[in-house]
Amino acid sequence: MSQPNRLVRGGRIDRTRTLSFTFNGQAYQGHAGDTLASALLANGVDIVNRSFKYSRPRGIVAAGAEEPNAVVQLGASEAGQVPNVRATQQALFDGLSARSTNGWPNVQRDLMGLVGKLGGQFMPPGFYYKTFMAPASLWMTYEKYIRKSAGLGRSPAEADPDIYDHLHRHCDVLVIGAGPAGLTAALAAARSGARVILCDEQEELGGSLLDSRELLDDESASEWLATVVAELSGRHNVTLLPRTTANGYHDHNFVTLHERRTEHLAETAPLANGHRQVRSRLHRVRAGRVILATGTHERPLVYAGNDVPGNLLAGAVSTYIRRYGVVPGQKLVLSTSNDHAYRAALDWQEAGREVVAIVDAREAPDGELVDQARSRGIRVVTGSAVIEAKGEKRVTAARIARVDLDRFAVAGAVEELHCDTIASSGGYSPVIHLASHTGARPTWNDEILGFEPSLVKGVSATGGARGTYALPQVLADGAETGSQAAVACGYTAASVELPRVDAIREGQACALYQVPHEKPTLRAPKQFVDLQNDVTAAGIELATREGFESIEHVKRYTAMGFGTDQGKLGNINGMAIAARCLGRTIPEVGTTVFRPNYTPVTFGAIVGRHCGELFDPERYTALHQWHVEHGAEFEDVGQWKRPWYYPQRVAGKLETMHEAVARECRAVREAVGILDASTLGKIDIQGPDAREFLGRIYTNKWEKLAVGKCRYGLMCKDDGMVTDDGVTSCLADNHFVMTTTTGGAAAILEWLELWHQTEWPELDVTFTSVTDHWATMTITGPESRKLLAELTDIDLDRDSFKFMDWREGKVAGVPARVFRISFTGELTFEINVQAHYAMHVWKALFEHGEKYGLTPYGTETMHVLRAEKGFIIVGQDTDGSVTPEDLGMQWCVGYDKPFSWIGKRALTRSDTARENRKQLVGLKPKDKAVVLEEGAQIVLDPKHPVPVPMVGHVTSSYYSPTLDSGFALAVVKGGHQKLGETVYLPMADGQVHEAEIVSPIFVDPKGERQHV
Amino acid sequence: MSNVNIYDSRADAAIPAESPLAFSYHRSGAPAAGAASRVVLRERPFLGHLILRGGAIVLDEAVRDELGMNLPGRPQGLVLDASGERSIQWLSPDEWLLIVPGGEEFALEGRLRERLGDASFAIVNVSGGQTLLELEGDAVPELLMKSVIYDAHPQHFPVGKGVTTVFAKTTTILRRPDESRWELVIRRSFADYCYRWLLDAGEEYAIGVVAA
Repeated sequence: MSQPNRLVRGGRIDRTRTLSFTFNGQAYQGHAGDTLASALLANGVDIVNRSFKYSRPRGIVAAGAEEPNAVVQLGASEAGQVPNVRATQQALFDGLSARSTNGWPNVQRDLMGLVGKLGGQFMPPGFYYKTFMAPASLWMTYEKYIRKSAGLGRSPAEADPDIYDHLHRHCDVLVIGAGPAGLTAALAAARSGARVILCDEQEELGGSLLDSRELLDDESASEWLATVVAELSGRHNVTLLPRTTANGYHDHNFVTLHERRTEHLAETAPLANGHRQVRSRLHRVRAGRVILATGTHERPLVYAGNDVPGNLLAGAVSTYIRRYGVVPGQKLVLSTSNDHAYRAALDWQEAGREVVAIVDAREAPDGELVDQARSRGIRVVTGSAVIEAKGEKRVTAARIARVDLDRFAVAGAVEELHCDTIASSGGYSPVIHLASHTGARPTWNDEILGFEPSLVKGVSATGGARGTYALPQVLADGAETGSQAAVACGYTAASVELPRVDAIREGQACALYQVPHEKPTLRAPKQFVDLQNDVTAAGIELATREGFESIEHVKRYTAMGFGTDQGKLGNINGMAIAARCLGRTIPEVGTTVFRPNYTPVTFGAIVGRHCGELFDPERYTALHQWHVEHGAEFEDVGQWKRPWYYPQRVAGKLETMHEAVARECRAVREAVGILDASTLGKIDIQGPDAREFLGRIYTNKWEKLAVGKCRYGLMCKDDGMVTDDGVTSCLADNHFVMTTTTGGAAAILEWLELWHQTEWPELDVTFTSVTDHWATMTITGPESRKLLAELTDIDLDRDSFKFMDWREGKVAGVPARVFRISFTGELTFEINVQAHYAMHVWKALFEHGEKYGLTPYGTETMHVLRAEKGFIIVGQDTDGSVTPEDLGMQWCVGYDKPFSWIGKRALTRSDTARENRKQLVGLKPKDKAVVLEEGAQIVLDPKHPVPVPMVGHVTSSYYSPTLDSGFALAVVKGGHQKLGETVYLPMADGQVHEAEIVSPIFVDPKGERQHV
Repeated sequence: MSNVNIYDSRADAAIPAESPLAFSYHRSGAPAAGAASRVVLRERPFLGHLILRGGAIVLDEAVRDELGMNLPGRPQGLVLDASGERSIQWLSPDEWLLIVPGGEEFALEGRLRERLGDASFAIVNVSGGQTLLELEGDAVPELLMKSVIYDAHPQHFPVGKGVTTVFAKTTTILRRPDESRWELVIRRSFADYCYRWLLDAGEEYAIGVVAA
């Protein structure tokens, strides 16, 4: 198949390797080394998309990351769909399949074109806020069509077959951009011995050298480039990352690099050595110094019809010709404000095509390139510019005229030049995006007519990125910057011999952004500023007229520089236009903030391997395998997987949760149950001041707790609100072990350290987590003593081993600490052994426990049993606004302790001391079959007109097999004074439940069962 | 410091013990190490792990007398005894991790306590709560880059260094006892997560496991 615009020779492509691809269903061919964009241009494809708002045909404009139009949807298969790919950045591979993201029903001939033409007037800036607001009921309809026609790509509907990962990298010097400045910077830093990372977003390292006209050491730039890359890749202290975009510059020289590892090979990553390889990778780089060698973006000129396919950046024309061997047209008109862009005309002519004219806005251009153009007989029209491009699906002519830049007016007759391509250049903008990510505002430089990056500590810019454009200076600046960065990291500067380059003398550029038209801006044909977001010069002017003066407001009102574009092509022009309309200078108007990401990053790379079963850590106890093998359902408690309940197969049918929990509850109340309580936080506390510390951190007293005894403790934050609870045991006079809630373990350890280190460093005490060291098995129920007696040498007699005592001894031959503490209200022994032996002890208990009906139970049964006893769960029955007094736990508050323990003062605040606070009570539904909903609101009078005053809510609610009734814990305003009163719980379905306020202790209120 | 409860929680050798990775070997398996394995993982389970807290000077003296090795003098230091069987690692300004062959920890704690007398210190046995993994092979540095935030480049992480750092979404103690070997000390409850992460990250290096 022919590639009409492909040159016979030249460029860095491999003409011996032909690759097939499809675009919008049409088959084409290109060559290895092509981008999708260069291959499309080679095939003469003019229209690649329809525009976002006006649905105008659009063609390729640029050759790099700044491309606004050729944003395509990639993927032949559903799973391989990738949105937001710039055709200019996508390497061509055999079998590539791409579609336009915009253009419904198709890019050549679409319905929306009409809407765009007619509807343009209904879509002024801010059209979202204006036009489609009324009637509001139609918004959903508008939105559907706006979204559909706006395109912007789509996500795959199938799971991604590829894998992605992260690499944490560290280096002395990170060089971003491998153009001439980046290469010499990396070379200088590397030779000094510094650890260097050099990344570049393109397929090949080299940047502007890849299409340079200059000779280095009398040879083509590619010769020098090859030598430098060879040296860098041979150095062990250098990491070269091509196809890698620095997408975000974060605090403290933390930079994220998005490396596309296989996207140039195939749609999904091929296997490598029989192993899956990652499709793309996020390098999380922490760098000593960062060097921005990101070069420049050329600015297009803003003239009427500048979006018609065939309007290109001058530099892009050169890139396509010199790098890819593609001339994107037959007859060229170049409109420029500077010398550098003349390269496009020279390259065009050397490619054997016609240059109709160079239209230069300056009165007397006189640089070397200008002279060359003239000497080759190219017509150079000075003091003029292209004011309008004619054509719809492709440029057919350029209208040129003299322009008066000071008065912003056309100053002479208009001449129409027939051509199919208009290249424009309004100068160059340093690529300051990454520097902007740090929050540093760029500064305007009149010399280069562009913004220079402001730099935070530890970063430097070099070459084009800081406005140095001539190649000899760029190379020298890079080497110097690289050397300085290495020295800043403690290395000794090394010498870099620079290639000899004959500088091309270039004349001064003029400031030209928007080109005047015969008609005023608001009446002239559309002059586009931001092609991706369809923002016009008229739109910006209108925004300023409507009172938007801040450039940030103008941006939001017009959508300039939004989304994936991030203002690469249009922002400076937009600011210049805003400045003109507001009668200010560009630096007065300032710039908007460029945000990460520089170009889109696939979600896979952001997620890395933190997906699927590795999404979040799952913490297991030493008994996890047993639980799995015995069919436990698991509940997530923090990161722990705790057995929730153990459904059994009864008569061939698996129990429901309700059935299993009822069975487990009965087993505990009537025989013996066993719970894996290993997840509770355990903190070993040692030191002569351990007891004093406990007294300050807990609400209750610890002064007199004897060795061998345990005590329940309640902890408040300094606001007086309950934050954790648990049992702490006195192992020796200077030694305690504290238990915390499962979820609170880490936070409580930090809490203890915080108070010790910042407030009471004089206390001699240490805290060490022993949560993982000990496994805890709770056996509970009337038969638990008999069971344990079979396996232990500890004297279990009720008078020598009392409730709230602990003892040491062996259980199933394993050294153990056994605690007589109870969360069920039954006779309970908590057996703690070193976790390595937990499985042995657990199994031994089951060997002996069968005859007693030993039943494993999970967290759900635990919740029911403790609620029957009125034992709170911090975080369920409390929510950070509940004091010990609200819980009716004054018995657990040492009001007369000498030291002002944490939370004490807060309990006397007017709000915590007031009447009518929500207080913990029990609720007994009038209908025993009702299990109230947790979270249900409580009212006193269900007939009260809406809004009904709400007096509280249900915090815990279950069915109790012991009571054969539903029951609940709740917080009710002034509840402690309301025992016996009836309250109502209106439900969403219209039912109103009735319940009686009762004591929160439903079973064994005297606590006799746990004391037996 | 006296008046604490010291307790030998290690059972007789006859009692079966399970390493923190027992369930992981059962569920995820242990790919065999072969010639192509650029990473080999080996668990060293059931060692004695003691946390020492207190002032460096008194602890150093006691450790030197008992074990013939210094307390690491600098932050992030790791010291091994001549046999390489015992190690002490700096964890924080008043905290060290002492790892000894399994079964030595209780007697050692007693002897250290005796030497330390009434000084201000603490010793806590955490042997049941963590396990030690060894990593060897030329791809270990890259495997570590995938897993830990800390810079494990040899220039920055010489032999004799140890740190506590972020590992995937949990934490690990990372140490380098010699030129070829890296060690991770991981917590029991996170061990399975770490193991699965390592198998996944090591897949492309044909990671092999020498199970305990």
